[in-house]
Amino acid sequence: MHISFLIHNAYGIGGTIRTTFNLAGTLAERHDVEIVSVLRHRDAPVFDLGPRVALRHLVDLRESGPSGDGADPAHARPAKVFPAAEGRYGQYSELTDRRIAQHLRRTEADVVVGTRPGLNVHIARQTRRGPVRVGQEHLTLDSHSRALKLALRGAYPRLDAVTTVTEADALAYRRTLRLPGVRVEAVPNSVPAPGLPPADGSGKWVVAAGRLARVKRYDVLIQAFAQVVAERPDWRLRIYGGGAEKADLRALITELGLYNHVFLMGPASPLESEWAKGSIAAVSSSLESFGMTIVEAMRCGLPVVATDCPHGPGEIITDGVDGTLVPVGDPGALAGGLLTLINDDAARTRMGAAALASSARFDPGRIAGRYEALFGELLARRRASRLRGSLHRARGALLSGAYATKDAARAALRGVRTA
Amino acid sequence: MTASSELTMTGEEMKESAAIEQESAAGAEPGGAGLRAVPGSEKDGRADGSGTDGAAPGELRADCIADSAGGLTFDLTAPQGTAVAWSAALVLRLRGGDGADDEVRLPLGPNGAGRLRAVLPSTVALAEGRWNAYADLGDGRDPRRLLPGVNDLRSLVDRRPLAGVGRLGVRIPYATKFGNLALRSWLRGPHAEAGDLLVAPDGVTVTGRLYGAVPAAGARAEARARRTPGPDGEPDTVSVPLTVEGPDFTFTLPYEELAGRWESGSEPWDLWLRPAEGARPVRIARLLDDVADKKQVFSYPALAVPCGATQVRVGPYYTLDNDLAVRVAGPAGD
Repeated sequence: MHISFLIHNAYGIGGTIRTTFNLAGTLAERHDVEIVSVLRHRDAPVFDLGPRVALRHLVDLRESGPSGDGADPAHARPAKVFPAAEGRYGQYSELTDRRIAQHLRRTEADVVVGTRPGLNVHIARQTRRGPVRVGQEHLTLDSHSRALKLALRGAYPRLDAVTTVTEADALAYRRTLRLPGVRVEAVPNSVPAPGLPPADGSGKWVVAAGRLARVKRYDVLIQAFAQVVAERPDWRLRIYGGGAEKADLRALITELGLYNHVFLMGPASPLESEWAKGSIAAVSSSLESFGMTIVEAMRCGLPVVATDCPHGPGEIITDGVDGTLVPVGDPGALAGGLLTLINDDAARTRMGAAALASSARFDPGRIAGRYEALFGELLARRRASRLRGSLHRARGALLSGAYATKDAARAALRGVRTA
Repeated sequence: MTASSELTMTGEEMKESAAIEQESAAGAEPGGAGLRAVPGSEKDGRADGSGTDGAAPGELRADCIADSAGGLTFDLTAPQGTAVAWSAALVLRLRGGDGADDEVRLPLGPNGAGRLRAVLPSTVALAEGRWNAYADLGDGRDPRRLLPGVNDLRSLVDRRPLAGVGRLGVRIPYATKFGNLALRSWLRGPHAEAGDLLVAPDGVTVTGRLYGAVPAAGARAEARARRTPGPDGEPDTVSVPLTVEGPDFTFTLPYEELAGRWESGSEPWDLWLRPAEGARPVRIARLLDDVADKKQVFSYPALAVPCGATQVRVGPYYTLDNDLAVRVAGPAGD
C-alpha cells in the first residue's frame, strides 16, 4: 500500500507529531509511507523520523526559505476550506487551501490519512476519486466547539473511516455525528518498548509525569500524598513536567510541609528512565483524551493508580489487575489506592508484572497492524465494488450537502461561521 | 548567544560554582542538540524531542548505566560504515581545565552487534566539576561530542554507601543546556550528606550522615557568612552543637542568630560540619542520588524573622554545586 499522512506541521513538537512518526515509521517497514506537512518552519524535524518515511511540505515558512511562501499575499487572506472553528484556523490561508487541494487532487496514494479535524475536512472534500480517506481524531469529539462539530458533520460523511484513540470517543462519534457508511474505529496510540529493563518495584517512589496544568489535578495528587506520608513517611513522590501551575503546586507543597517528600522535577526526556526509578505511577487528571503516560509507565513495569476520568484510563487499566482506578478529584480515594499498593509488596509486584504484560498491546507493531488491517479492508471494499464505493460516496456527498444546508441555516441563526 | 549570557545569575551565585555551564556555543550542533531549547517543549513532562530510537546521521548517542558503587558504563551504537580502531576511546574533559589530569580516556571496545562500550570504574577518580563527554573513534578525526541517550540511573536514586568509605566519588550524567552529554563529579572525603531538612520559625533542623569520619567530642556544625570577612580575616561564623548517633547527625541552626547578624541585601551562609574539636571542617552537601542539579528540585520555604525594626527572610537552599547554604534576605532583597 501507498499511505500518505497529512499533518499540520511535522517540524514542531507535540503528541500528534510523535504518534504519527511512530506509526508511519512502523508502517514503512512493509509499505510506501509519506508524511505531507502543510507547514514547515525549520530545516529538520525535531523528532526522529527514521530513514524509510518520505517527508515533504506544502507551504514553506522558513525565513530563509527558497519559496517566499510566508510573504505570498495569498497567505495573508483567510482560508475558506479549512474550518474557521478549528483551533489552528489562524495559521491557515487561501494559500494553504490551494496547496492542500493540489496535493489531494494529484495524490498517488492508496490511503490518505488526516491527523486533525481541519485537515480531515480537506481530505473529505478535496481528495480525488480513488484513494481511501481516513480522518484521525487525536483529541476527542466533546473537546470541540459546537461550531466545529457542525463543520465536521458536514464533511465527514465523505470519509471512509474516522479513527479515535478510545472506544468511548468512537461511541461519541457514532452517536453524536451519525455518519452512515463511515467506519468509526478506535485505535489507541502506540508506545514503543522502553530501552531499559523494567522497574523491580523495590524503590519507595511514586512517579507522575505531565504538563503542570489544571487538568492534570496535581493539587489533588499532592493532597493525597499528604495522607500517604502520614502513614508511610518512607515513601516519596516525584512529579515530572513543567507548566503554568508550578508556582501554585510549590506553594501547596510548602503549605502541607511536604518539601521532603514531594518533588517537582522539571521536564525530563526520555521519560522511560524516570519511570524505571519508581514503583508506582500516579495519574490524577480530570480528563485524558488517551492517557499516554499511563501506557508509558505500564511499559516500564509500573502499576498505575489513576483517576477513572474520561476517556482513556478505564480502557487502558483493568482495575485491580494491572492498576487501580479511583474517582476523579478525591484525594482520599487516590491516597487509598496508593497506600494499598505501598503496603502490599506482593500485590505491587504482581500488578507491575501484569501491567508490563498487558501494555504490550500498545506496541507500535501491534497498533500499526490494526491500522494496516483497517486500511486493507477499506481498500478491498473500494476495489471489490467500485459501484458500492461510488454509491457510498454519492450518498456521503448528498448527506454532507443536506447536513451542511441544515447546519448552515442553524449557524446563521446563531451567527457562527461553519466554514 | 553564549551560555553565560543565557544564565540569569547573580554574582553571588556565580561564585558558588567553579565551572558553571561554560560550554561554548559551538557545542550546539545544528539539527540535533541545538534544537532542544525550543519553546513549548515542556509538554507532557518531556524536556525535548529527543527520541531514543536511532540518531540522525553523524550523531553519536551514549546510553549510560550507573552502578551503586559510583561506576558508569557507556554504551554507544557504532556509526555505520565506520571502522572503529583499537585506539578508540571515550574521552572525558574537565570544563575549564587544561592540566594532564583534566582529560580521561576510557577504552571504547566492541560490545555485540554494532555496539561499543566504555567503563568508568568507581576506582578512577575524577576531579570535582563538570566533565564533557566525547567519542574518539581512532579514525584520525577530532573527538566527537556525545549526545545523551537513555540514562539508567536507578541505582543512584537512594544511594547509601558504607559510612566508613574513605573518599566518596559521585558522578551523575546529565544533559547540558545545549543537549550534550556531560558528567557532574564530586570527590569528597570526609563527606557530610544532608538528608531531610525541617524548617521551623526558630530555625532549620538538618539531619544527615557523615562519611569517612566518625563524629567525636566537640563535633559541631558551622554556618559561615560568605560576605567579605572583617579585619581579622575570619568569616563571621555561627556554631551549633551536633547530636550524633553512629554516623548520623542532627543539628538546629537558629534563625534569630543569623538574622541578628544581617547587614544588607541577600546574604548567603555556607554550612559546614566539624567532626571533632580541631578537625578540618567538611562541607555539608546533598550528593547521593540521581539529581545532578538540586537547586530547582529541592526547594524549601523561607520564613520571616524579626531583625531589629525590620524583618528578614531566612531559608535553606542548595547551591549550584549542591552544597547546603542558608540565605538571609532583607526586605529589599529577593
